[in-house]
Amino acid sequence: MIRFLIKGILRDPNRSVLPVLVISIGVFLSVLFSAWFSGVFSDMIRLNANFSTGHLKVMTRAYAENAEQMPNDLALLETGSLVADLQRQFPQLDWTQRIRFGGLLDVADAEGNTRAQGMAAGYAVDLFSPGSREAERMNIMPAIVEGRLPAQPGEALISDDFARRFKVGLGDTVTLFGSTMDGGMSFANFAVAGTVRFGMPVLDRGAIIVDITDAQSALDMQDAAGEVLGFFKSDQYEEAAALEVKTAFNARFQNDDDEFAPLMQRLNDQNGLEEYLVLSKSMSGIMIFVFIFAMSIVLWNTGLLGGLRRYNEFGIRLAMGEEKKRLFRSLIIESVVIGLAGSVLGTALGLSAAYYLQETGLDFGSAVQGGSMMMPTVFRAHIGAQTFYIGFIPGLFSMVLGNALSGLGIYRRKTAELFKELSV
Amino acid sequence: MKIIFIFTLFLLLSPALVQQNDANAILRKVEQNMSSDNRVFESEMTIRGKRNSRTITSRSYSVGDKKSFTEYLSPAREAGTKMLKLENQLWIYSPSTDRTIQISGHLLRQSVMGSDLSYEDMMDDRKITDVYSAKVAGEETLDGRKTWVLELTAKVADLAYHRRKMWVDAERYVPLKEELYAKSGQLLKRTTLSNVQKIQGRWFPLNVVYKDMLKAGEGTEFKMTSVKFNQDIPASMFTKAALKQ
Amino acid sequence: MIAIQLALKNILGAGWRSLLNIAVLSLAFVIILWHNGTIDGWNQQARKDTQEWEIGGGQLWHSAYDPLDPLSIQDAHAPLSADMTRLAGQGQLAPILAVQASAFPQGRMQGVLLKGIDPEQKVLKIPTEILQKNPDGALIGKRMAQALKLKTGDALLVRWRDSQGAFDALELNIAGIFDCNVPSIDAGQIWLPIERLQTMMNLPGEATLMVAASGFRPAETSPWVFQSEDVLLADLNTIIQSKKGSGAVLYGLLMIIALLAIFDTQVLSIFRRQREIGTYIALGMTRRQVIGIFTVEGSVYSILAIVLGALYGGPFLWYLAKYGWAMPTGGQDMGISISDRIYPVYGTGLVLGTIILVVIAATVVSFLPARKIARLNPTDAIKGKIQ
Repeated sequence: MIRFLIKGILRDPNRSVLPVLVISIGVFLSVLFSAWFSGVFSDMIRLNANFSTGHLKVMTRAYAENAEQMPNDLALLETGSLVADLQRQFPQLDWTQRIRFGGLLDVADAEGNTRAQGMAAGYAVDLFSPGSREAERMNIMPAIVEGRLPAQPGEALISDDFARRFKVGLGDTVTLFGSTMDGGMSFANFAVAGTVRFGMPVLDRGAIIVDITDAQSALDMQDAAGEVLGFFKSDQYEEAAALEVKTAFNARFQNDDDEFAPLMQRLNDQNGLEEYLVLSKSMSGIMIFVFIFAMSIVLWNTGLLGGLRRYNEFGIRLAMGEEKKRLFRSLIIESVVIGLAGSVLGTALGLSAAYYLQETGLDFGSAVQGGSMMMPTVFRAHIGAQTFYIGFIPGLFSMVLGNALSGLGIYRRKTAELFKELSV
Repeated sequence: MKIIFIFTLFLLLSPALVQQNDANAILRKVEQNMSSDNRVFESEMTIRGKRNSRTITSRSYSVGDKKSFTEYLSPAREAGTKMLKLENQLWIYSPSTDRTIQISGHLLRQSVMGSDLSYEDMMDDRKITDVYSAKVAGEETLDGRKTWVLELTAKVADLAYHRRKMWVDAERYVPLKEELYAKSGQLLKRTTLSNVQKIQGRWFPLNVVYKDMLKAGEGTEFKMTSVKFNQDIPASMFTKAALKQ
Repeated sequence: MIAIQLALKNILGAGWRSLLNIAVLSLAFVIILWHNGTIDGWNQQARKDTQEWEIGGGQLWHSAYDPLDPLSIQDAHAPLSADMTRLAGQGQLAPILAVQASAFPQGRMQGVLLKGIDPEQKVLKIPTEILQKNPDGALIGKRMAQALKLKTGDALLVRWRDSQGAFDALELNIAGIFDCNVPSIDAGQIWLPIERLQTMMNLPGEATLMVAASGFRPAETSPWVFQSEDVLLADLNTIIQSKKGSGAVLYGLLMIIALLAIFDTQVLSIFRRQREIGTYIALGMTRRQVIGIFTVEGSVYSILAIVLGALYGGPFLWYLAKYGWAMPTGGQDMGISISDRIYPVYGTGLVLGTIILVVIAATVVSFLPARKIARLNPTDAIKGKIQ
């Protein structure tokens, strides 16, 4: 019977094309909306996670106390084995070392003397390990104004503003003068592989981004790092899972009084993000609910209309002696088929559009000149598990419900009146 | 004329003035011990951090108080790093990068090698007797030695430390302890000097502990392993070109 | 007029199916108002806060001053001219002297910025009257207090070098902690009476920058350079702009849904009411008039949606505007002014604009399927023949 119904649907464009079209548009919008909305809300979270907090972060207790000062003298030691340990114990996360450091960027004249100097805000991340996703997390590729990613030790990315101000070109050497973990003097030459602009004043003034191994040797931090960051492999921040990992990890050092014992913090625990998370969750919940509710009403309406549209047809079928129950069932199965088709199509379309918006994003900040913000101006959609099923709620459920409600009318029709109705 | 003479006599006899003269006399004697036309010394600096301590050895050449040249000898990481100070300018040369970097502005406030000494602590180079007025505040016994306690107050405005307190060995005329104060009276740094040896006819403290009183920690120990006065130092040493050699 | 009456009758006749369409459209209407109102409210609040607490009616900067470059601050100061001193006395200018210093909380050294300001100033909202009562005290913001773990009455050891290079240090007594939404006058900063800081620095009568009172445009004389409000608010404008953009996507999608519903209903109603259409034409109405009737029906949907939106959205939006809604502080660490409560502001332009948008959009989507009527053969239509 289902095959028969599908044939019927396919042959009658009034029953198939329009409803499927409407449903797929509706589902497409729902999917896109929910992806967009969770993307916009998670943007700040993602920015924070990627640049600063990770989904989870391990520091020494002493470092955590003064984290905003980037106190590398309080850094974690033996991070190689720590990271290996974390990878083993919590394989659902990707663990990576980072060092943030301050210092002076010095540009030489022909004699090797100081020609220009500026303050540096240094980020050392894992750029060279095969499979490292750090460059992607730091959003480096889109931020590159000129040049390319460092490809070998001794190469660095520097802020485009700095490069312009001090007339530093690609391939030129800049010297980082800072202090080692022990407070000693640290000097390191870096060849400029590229220049970057993030749209954040702190970084755009004098950022220098180098590979973690380069920073470790420059800052005399062999096998040490200020922070070890953990990111869920799914890229999604999973609060509850993060709490489990944190609790399990910190329990191991519960009885350790050492102020240099490692301490794990969740994203929630840092930068005052807890409140933001709570609000964004409830907000996006409400908004998505409102939207899906609205969409459901619309598609329900479509289902109702679909039933009404076929008033005459049902009349004839009833007159020909088809059972009401059977008629109703066929209506429901049809609506399931249409709803499914529309939902699948709409979800597919919605996902591709959401994927595009996730990868490319929409830049709303570029129109304004002279602004430099530590806020995302490029907004992106975000595809999560929800994106895959959310469209089926209005697409399938509401559609079927609408059809069912209008189909109830079948039971109200009296055979005696049918011919009178149909005679005109 | 007569009035002036009596007035001068009166001034000379006033106790404060006598004391000031005494203090200045003590300081002059201290300077005879501590200052020289030039000197060459090798030293070990031990910096106690929260987690470990490090010892850095270096060799320094200085002429008067205006010029100095220091080469770091160990550990391997710092070896070959050179520092040149001329008047109020400071350059550091690092062999690993083959670069000479000028230290200026607020960088001067940074500590040297993580020690309790900042670069700017090394910059003030005027004779104490020229810029401070001194008086004897009392006598104290320090580690079994009788000392004069001198109070030094800045005579000029552009001094790093407005007031100093110096405990001078009454017999050998070397400072054994010094405290550096801010204009407000806040104690900023304390220097403790010990291991006083007679070198080339003068008393000289070979060990110094610097303590930044505002920072937590145990301070930085500075030990001179050899000191030679009045050596033949080529003038070319105090040029930027010498840093690269 | 008859068209509107007919439309109204038709819509109401369709009962709760119409109501659903109206409900969705009204939701879009209310959310557009709410979202834009919130952003406008936030914008106004952030601008107001930034103006009141930080930038006033613009600032005169010493030409060497660059707030993002700590190296610039050391040399960025100059004496006020007699004119400026007079203006400061009249409350038109608030001179600020900025000095880099080191603070020693818990024995660690940390860079801070000392800022001197006239305790009697009224140009900025910073509660400098606390300094009037405690001339020996210092004022810090809540972020600074949190970062250095300080509370009122605590002492903080600060060391600086005066203009001639002499070290000086003091235990500053924290006389008050202010709570404001502008991180740029809070994080890493300690406020002191300007005369005290001038004495501490040995820079009598000097300043780094001057904040102009609202509406006052001071003359630029070397070395002072005027930074207008617009320049100083550029960053804020960028986020507001981008927030608006991302919001537009959001309610754009919602609008599309509502319009989809109307479109769908309209397609069906034209399909179902062919006989009615045929009858209108047979009665002598032109096709344009009939298209008009159906189009007006769509517009009436939108008007009813606006009425409905006003019914439930009005109190809701009013409540938000009156009591605000809580905003988490997460964003403040990123250096922008966000107050913890946002009070949406619904301007006449916003409300009228949204109404016009909703009506026009609904009319257009009603008109599109109604065009079909023009191609309708009245005789067939009146027979109910499907075309």
